[in-house]
Formats: sequence, structure tokens, C-alpha cells
Amino acid sequence: MSLYIFYISNFLLLLCLTASLMQSSKIINNKIFTRPGVMMLASVQLISILLSFLILIYLFLISDFNFDLVYFNSHSKKPLIYKFSGVWGNHEGSMLLWILILVLFNFLFALSKRISERFKDITVAVQSIMIFGFVAFLFFLSNPFVLNQNNFFDGIGLNPILQDPLLAIHPPVLYVGYVGFSLVFSLAIAGLITKEVDQQWASIVKPWVFSAWAFLTAGIALGSFWAYYELGWGGYWFWDPVENASLMPWIAATALIHCVLMLQKRNVMQSWTIILAILTFSLSLVGTFLVRSGILNSVHTFASDPGRGLFILLFIFLILAFSFSLFAYNSEKINKTSSMGLISRGTGIQVNNWLLITILTIVFLGTMYPLATDLLLNKSLTVGPKYYSTTIAPIIILFLFFMFISPRLGWNDTKLYKIIIQLRYLIITSLTITLIISLYFELFNLTEILIIFFSVLLIISSMTASINFNKQNILVRTNLGQNLAHAGFGILMMAVVSNAVYSEERIYNAKVGDNLQLQKYIFSFDKIEQVEESNYNSLKAYFQMKKNGKLIDTFTPEIRFYSNPPTITSEASILHKFFSDIYLVMNVPQDQQSISVRMHIKPFMTILWLGTLMIIIGGIVSASIRIGRFDEK
Amino acid sequence: MTSLVKSRLIKFLLSLIIVLIAVLIIIFNLRDNIIYFYGPTELLKNSDKQGQIMRLGGLVSVDSVQNETDSIFYFSITDGDNEIEVKYEGILPNLFAEDKGVVVEGVYMNDGRFIANKVLAKHDENYMPPEVIETLKKSGKWQGE
Repeated sequence: MSLYIFYISNFLLLLCLTASLMQSSKIINNKIFTRPGVMMLASVQLISILLSFLILIYLFLISDFNFDLVYFNSHSKKPLIYKFSGVWGNHEGSMLLWILILVLFNFLFALSKRISERFKDITVAVQSIMIFGFVAFLFFLSNPFVLNQNNFFDGIGLNPILQDPLLAIHPPVLYVGYVGFSLVFSLAIAGLITKEVDQQWASIVKPWVFSAWAFLTAGIALGSFWAYYELGWGGYWFWDPVENASLMPWIAATALIHCVLMLQKRNVMQSWTIILAILTFSLSLVGTFLVRSGILNSVHTFASDPGRGLFILLFIFLILAFSFSLFAYNSEKINKTSSMGLISRGTGIQVNNWLLITILTIVFLGTMYPLATDLLLNKSLTVGPKYYSTTIAPIIILFLFFMFISPRLGWNDTKLYKIIIQLRYLIITSLTITLIISLYFELFNLTEILIIFFSVLLIISSMTASINFNKQNILVRTNLGQNLAHAGFGILMMAVVSNAVYSEERIYNAKVGDNLQLQKYIFSFDKIEQVEESNYNSLKAYFQMKKNGKLIDTFTPEIRFYSNPPTITSEASILHKFFSDIYLVMNVPQDQQSISVRMHIKPFMTILWLGTLMIIIGGIVSASIRIGRFDEK
Repeated sequence: MTSLVKSRLIKFLLSLIIVLIAVLIIIFNLRDNIIYFYGPTELLKNSDKQGQIMRLGGLVSVDSVQNETDSIFYFSITDGDNEIEVKYEGILPNLFAEDKGVVVEGVYMNDGRFIANKVLAKHDENYMPPEVIETLKKSGKWQGE
């Protein structure tokens, strides 16, 4: 049985390789052969990969340990959902998922109508070159369907830290984001080849780039949320290289979506938009390379195999070389200059583009510097999180200012003082709110106050801008997506700053019966008990949280002892309230009679996730509105 | 020089200066926030590094873990040749154990003791930080492949 599956699945991969090769040839000339057509080949690509992915899921579900991948990454006693999510909890499976999304985007784009045939052919061909590259990589260097000769009775198991429901959805969502930019990249290359990077091109790209961006945002947010409750350190962002690897394409993509909108409305910045499209996808690949190559040591690094890292590195290099030589050759022909006022919305967006690129550079240097010294000087070092916060914070102030003012400016030259007079009530309200917040929370750091001020300004400004009355006094909603996302960003920045300033931490050693205090709350350590689950044993502590003698909630932090593979994890117990989270995590040091409890008060966490959610919804709204209303006036 | 060329040149030079300043600020900030990693032998050779924040890694010496109170710990980190005494106040991670790999972050004091403010968490029992492997290889005490 396993042998048949082995042949079928490898045949499917080869089938996809062939179809992709045929599809790629259409980049040169679509007259080489007309049948099978683009749609037919795209269907073959999709079906072959989809089937092999389903086969892999099946192998994990029935725990067929004749396959290496299942043997190394699964265990028969694992709950069903983790057998399922274990499919992409490893290098080979996650690459197959990556390819599945790649062919899915290819197929969906091939379906789209009202696009000139030549342009569609080239886009699908470029996409197929990448599919070919990645399927070849999968087939030769990280084949998920490899049989072993032994009859293993049971598997090794999935890293327990990855056994989490959120982790079932974090990688697919993140991948839809990363891979979505592959299509944007293919569209950019097609635009360069046909020399048609214009307003129509922007309208074709817009829904793809916005949905990819929304998914990437959601993927990063899910990972961050997972780190927050699973790693037990009480933080949500650590400036860890793996996190940075996902943040870099996000920053580039954020610049890109604004340029696509500018291009669609004003027919400006053709070259810069193309550069950003190439940059965003390259950074998505760099992200994959960093995470999968084993260079970084983290929970994401499944296997270190230099051959794999080298392949992705070579792939990135080829893509950059190809696209930039094409760009150098054709860029003169795509540029059309249109005039823009000096003090105008366009300038504001351009300034923020540069600020985003600066932040990107900061993150890039901080991430790459340790890798470079390690490789070149054989010296290990890390860059402290303070580097990021101190360098990025001043830029964020400027960034928030331009986010606030740009949508208020017209496309043509606008008098700044007129706008400021027009917005005087808004500014005064924000000043008052900032003053109250600063005094109430005893905030004296200028950077923090300025970030809060401009965030408040941005939030109020975006919210009021989304509610407009026309001359007949009828409510019209304009730029809903933009305003939602911008307000969300303001809320996020406010929450990030307040959270950094007001987080509180207490560490206690506790025995049953102890009463521990955190601010106005008392935690009584009720009992500790052993719990046996199917795939782990756990020590569960019960803490009753009381305020003024009244019971509010019971906390149950856990320590889990997994046996396949042997690992200990701490499970935090978190109470989410609107204004702050209360976070309990415990440890049992060896040879100790008492347990150590770490308690955090994490203010504004719910609000922080809320802001992020608004950004994601804003992106989805913008993606789904066919005709953007970027210039309502 | 025509006025167009002149204005382009000025624009170009101006943006070059801005970019240079930005890069300099970033690099200086980067240098201030770098945390170096040392093994015990390396750190003893670099005694001028006292007072800086850094990371120290190696194996926890056998029979070296003591606690003064419930949350103040003393232990030694060794690479087989040399060892450095570490004082740490806080919670030890679940997987902290004698003769296992460990990485701590803190300050190397001028009395030769390391005051750690972080003991870095590990993800599973068999995991060994790559820096520690490197340290053990340097002292010839590495037993893995």
C-alpha cells in the first residue's frame, strides 16, 4: 500500500513539474503550442499538488510510519488535530503547503476575466517558472514522500511547543500572505515585459496585493499572539530574527499598497512601484530562507541542511538578477511623468514611503549584522531589542504625522495652514486627551508623549473622516478600508507604547496556602494537582484571584511533561480584560519544594489585538472594493 | 552647467547627505546595543569587557547550583577548562539542570563574578544552543558529532 502511495505521489509532483515547464514556455511565445491552454495547464498544476497534499494529510492521519516524514514528525497517540496540523509542522510538509498556495494563486489568476490574453499568459508563465523551481526543490531536495526500510512501530512526535490550535492556522495564513506577493511579482514582471505599467495595471494588481497584505498582517499577528500565550515570557514581540523576517516583507508591502493606489489614481511612480513589488517578494523569499535554512536557531527551524538554504539563496539571487536587468532594460519605457503638487497627498505618501524604507533598513541591519559577523568573523553576538525601539520610535512619530495629514491634503498643491485651521478642533481635542493621559499615567518621556499624541490625532481623524455627510445630509461612507486600517494603526501604536511603559511583573516562590499580591489583587494558592492527558502529563496549579475579598477568577497555570519527544512546557494562564491582561506562568526548578510563579499585568493587550484586527479588516475591505475611492474629492 | 543639471545635482547631493546621516545614526545605535557572546575561557581572556552587558554560555557545572533564598541562585558555567560563577535572581527555566547547556545574559563584574539578569529559555531537552556547542568545540569537550 505504502509503495503505491509512494509512486502515485511522486508521479503527481513530476506531473506538476511538466505542466509548469509547458506553462513557462509561454513567456517567450504563446504560439509554440496552443493546446493544452493556460487554463488547462493551471488546472493540472493545481490538481496534482492538491492531490499530493491530500495524500500527505492522509498519511499523517493514518500514521503511516513507513514514510520518513510521518515517522519523524508524528506519533500515533497525538490528538487528531495535531496529526493534521503536523502536516505543515515540518520542513517538507510546509514547503508542499507553500507550493499549494503558489499554484492556487496561479489558478485563481488564470480564472480572472477582462485581462488581455498576452498579459495573462506572461503572468501565468512567470508564476509557473517559480512553481517549477519550488516543485523541483521539493522533489529533489526535500521530498515529503520518502519511504524508509524499517517497520517503525511508532513515530518520534511533533515538538510539543508546536502542538497548539493556533499553530494549525498560523503557517497557512502567513504563507497565503508571503505567496500572494509571488503573484504581485509575476504581475510586475509581466508589466515590465509588456511595458504596460499604468492605471489599468494598478487596478489588476490592487485586489491581489491588498489581500496578500491582509493575510500577511494576520499571519504575523497570529504568530505574535501565539508567542504571547505559549512561550510564557509575557511578551508579544521579541525582535527575534524570525519575527523580523516576516516584518520586513510587511513593511515593504505596506509601502507597495500605497504606491499601487497612487499609480491607479494619478499614474505616477511606475518604476518605484515595480521596485517595491520585486523587493516585497524577495523579502518574502529571504524570510523563508532565513527561517528554513537553519541559520537562525529558533522553534521555526525544522532542519538544518545547507543544500536547502543554498537553493533558496540561489533562487533569490536569480530572481533579483533577472528582474533587475529586465527593469534596467525597460524602466525608461514605463515611466510617464505627471505633475504633483509639493504640499499634496502624493508627497505625504512619498515621504512615508521613505520612512518605511528607513525602518526596513533598520530591521534589516539589525537582523543581518549578527549573521554577517557569525559567518565572516566567527563571532556570535545578538542585537538588543533596545536598538529597534530607540531607532524606530522617532521615525514612527513622523510617520504618524504624515499618516494623519496626507489624506487631508488634496492631490494638487494645498495650503498647509488652511488645513490646520480647518482641523483646529481635532488638534485641540487630541492635545487635551494626550494631556489627560500623560498626567494620569505620569508620562514624562517626550517620544512617548508625541507617539500618543499623533496616534490619538490619527485615530480621531480617521474615524471622523469615515463619517461624511453629503449636501443632502445623507451619510456617505468614504474610504472605509483606509480609515479603518489607519485608525487601527494608531490604536496599535498607542497600545504598544502604553504596554511598554505600564507592564508590571512580580516573581514569587509559592507553597499551597500562600497569598500573593499583585497591585490590588490577591492570589491565593489553592492546590496543585497532577493531570493525565493522552499525550502529556501535567502539573496544574490553582490560584484564586480576589479583589477586596471578592473572588474574581481562578487561574490555572500548568507545566506539561511531554514524552514524545520528551519536553517540558509552561502553559500560561491569562485573564483578558479590556484594559489589561493578567498573566500567570509557573516553573518548577529542579530539587525545589516550592514552585516559582511569575505574574504580569499587561495593560492594553486586548486593545493592541483590536487595533491589529482593524488593520486586517481594513486591508480586506480595500481588497474587495473594486473601484478604490482613494480620491473622493 | 544648465539650471536643470544644477538642481538635479543639488537634489542628489542633499539626499546623499540625508541618507549618510541616517545610516550613521543607525550604525552607532546598532553598536551601542550589541550583546556579545562568550564562553568562560574567552571571557577570562577578555577581562577588559567587565561592566558590559553580554551573554555567557556553556554547561552548568555539576554540584554547583546553590540557592541563597528561594529566588537567588548561584551556579557555575563551564566549558571544561575554565568556569565562571554566576549569580542570578529570578525564576530558573524548567529545563535548567546541571551538566546541561545554558546561556545567561548579564554583566561580568570586576570581582570575576557574572551577575545574570536573564537565563535564556530552551525549547526542548536535547536542544543545545549553537554558541554553547561552538564553545565546547573550542575547548575540545564537545561529544556530539
